[in-house]
Amino acid sequence: MRHRTSLPLKQTANGRSSRARGLHHRVLEIPFATALAILGPALALPPNSFAQSGKPSEAAKTQVAAEPLSHDLSGVWMQYPEGDVPGTPGMNTVNQRFRPPLTPWGQARLDAARPLVGPKAVAGEENSPTLRCDPDGPPKVLNHPNPFEIVQIPGRMFMFFEEQHIWRTIWADGRALPKDPDPSYLGYAVGKWEGDTFVVETIGFNDKVWADAYGDPRSEQTHLTERYRRLNHDTLELQVTIDDPKSYTKPWVSPPKLHKLESGWEIAEWFCAADEDKAYDEVVRKPAGVAPTSNK
Amino acid sequence: MKEVKDKSLRRQLCPTNFSFPQLPIPPQLTLLPLLRRTILPMKLATALAPMLALLTLAPILSAQAVQPAGKTQAATSTAPALSHDLSGVWMQYPDGDVPGVPGMNAVSNRTRPSLTPWGQAKFDAAKPLVGPRAVPGVENNPELRCEPDGPPKLLNLPNPFEIVQIPGRVLMFFELGHIWREIWTDGRPLPKDPDPTYLGYSVGKWEGDTFVVDTIGFNDKLWDDSYGDPRSDATHLTERYRRLNHDTLELQIIIDDPKAYTKTWVSPPKLHKLEPAWEIAEWFCVLDEDQAYDEVVRKPAGIAPSK
Repeated sequence: MRHRTSLPLKQTANGRSSRARGLHHRVLEIPFATALAILGPALALPPNSFAQSGKPSEAAKTQVAAEPLSHDLSGVWMQYPEGDVPGTPGMNTVNQRFRPPLTPWGQARLDAARPLVGPKAVAGEENSPTLRCDPDGPPKVLNHPNPFEIVQIPGRMFMFFEEQHIWRTIWADGRALPKDPDPSYLGYAVGKWEGDTFVVETIGFNDKVWADAYGDPRSEQTHLTERYRRLNHDTLELQVTIDDPKSYTKPWVSPPKLHKLESGWEIAEWFCAADEDKAYDEVVRKPAGVAPTSNK
Repeated sequence: MKEVKDKSLRRQLCPTNFSFPQLPIPPQLTLLPLLRRTILPMKLATALAPMLALLTLAPILSAQAVQPAGKTQAATSTAPALSHDLSGVWMQYPDGDVPGVPGMNAVSNRTRPSLTPWGQAKFDAAKPLVGPRAVPGVENNPELRCEPDGPPKLLNLPNPFEIVQIPGRVLMFFELGHIWREIWTDGRPLPKDPDPTYLGYSVGKWEGDTFVVDTIGFNDKLWDDSYGDPRSDATHLTERYRRLNHDTLELQIIIDDPKAYTKTWVSPPKLHKLEPAWEIAEWFCVLDEDQAYDEVVRKPAGIAPSK
């Protein structure tokens, strides 16, 4: 991610000199493999190490007086840490407190999952699909501690996630969800405005990746709803609802999370490359994993 | 998605005398994304497997326009080109650059300058899946490890890409590997010392009716094309896009890579056809599916040309 407007062009073009301050920037500057290694310790830091203000959500609502732009979600957005689990920023999970009980199928999936982060993380046993560079999909990509950019064009919205260089299309041309889509990592997404909220419905997922970095399951029956609302110019609210009857006994309705507009950032190239797998093994998988310092 | 069941159809549609490999086509390979463009994502189980088949069957992608690329293509549509608008899903015409292979996968072997010693060593080490140097069983394409592709290789894959123009940027979406790329058009210069990346750092501007893209900042982990031509970190790539008419996009690739080639590689323009009904599907390269990939693609025969 690079500064776009807040620095002179010359500096902008020079990636190294223009990188912004902040832990995640340093993480993103390096290859994916190494990045994940650093990500671990980062998660153990208190939430306010990610932001200047200790209470970002409140601050964000009052800081900026500018009116939100009507039906415009464009920009680079960075999730605020919310401290969902003590000792971790809580960015990586949908929301553990609100997760419904699992079905037997879901429980078996969760038991088999060995996440890199969260209370279930066990050093050395991790089997996150990310370790094989499997592409992430929603809702997991929405909870990464990394920025995403939204671009709107007529009939479509694009989302560009820095982690793994994933892009996603949300059709906003009035088409219906397909009847029987082929299962895919990203699913098939359509969106429409309901008042000031952009509502995205996605189906057609495969069950190869998790719903979040904690290993919560995502089956191919998942119907994901995302509700985006721009609270003010600099603040985007995102509420995620996971309806996955194969994994969960009822819909998982998570409370909204807040995202901050980062007008000076640009999404950088961050691929997960198997070529770097060996180095990745050395620095990430073998040494210690990134189990949190406290469990809950 | 439309199944290609009739093998005779394939031959009929194939504009060259390219002969298909003798490997039996597994069921999932018949679900080629070739003629299915109007509707959506292919099955993920087949995401990797059809790579070979795609490369092999590339010519039928332009099934409706079997004639080889050339100036005739430009004359088929009478609609005027849109001014400074490259938007849409584009599919490369086969050009038969090398007899016996579709020729889509190479920049242009005929015009390639001689290699430097560094370039030759890289080239010798490359064991491509396609082209005259392909040898079954020893292939070491970076994409076999699901490494992300970058330009110019991306530009020559026998798969569609979409161009989207937004203020200050041109976005390109490549179906193979689900790669996206951005070209800055806000007037910024190329960076002085960019970090090496797969995609490089791209800026573009209009010169008359031609959109000129300059890219530097590549790493040397990938090839220039599917034939194994080297790409060093000294590469300065120039792409010249010109919309000849509403339905036809011309793309000329110029590779200035003094570390790999003894002089600048100026390739002849290639033509692309607008496919207004197509949508870019999800096609990730996934290591998870590597075993299946090995079974159906790597082990049987490879796809060396039969010449």
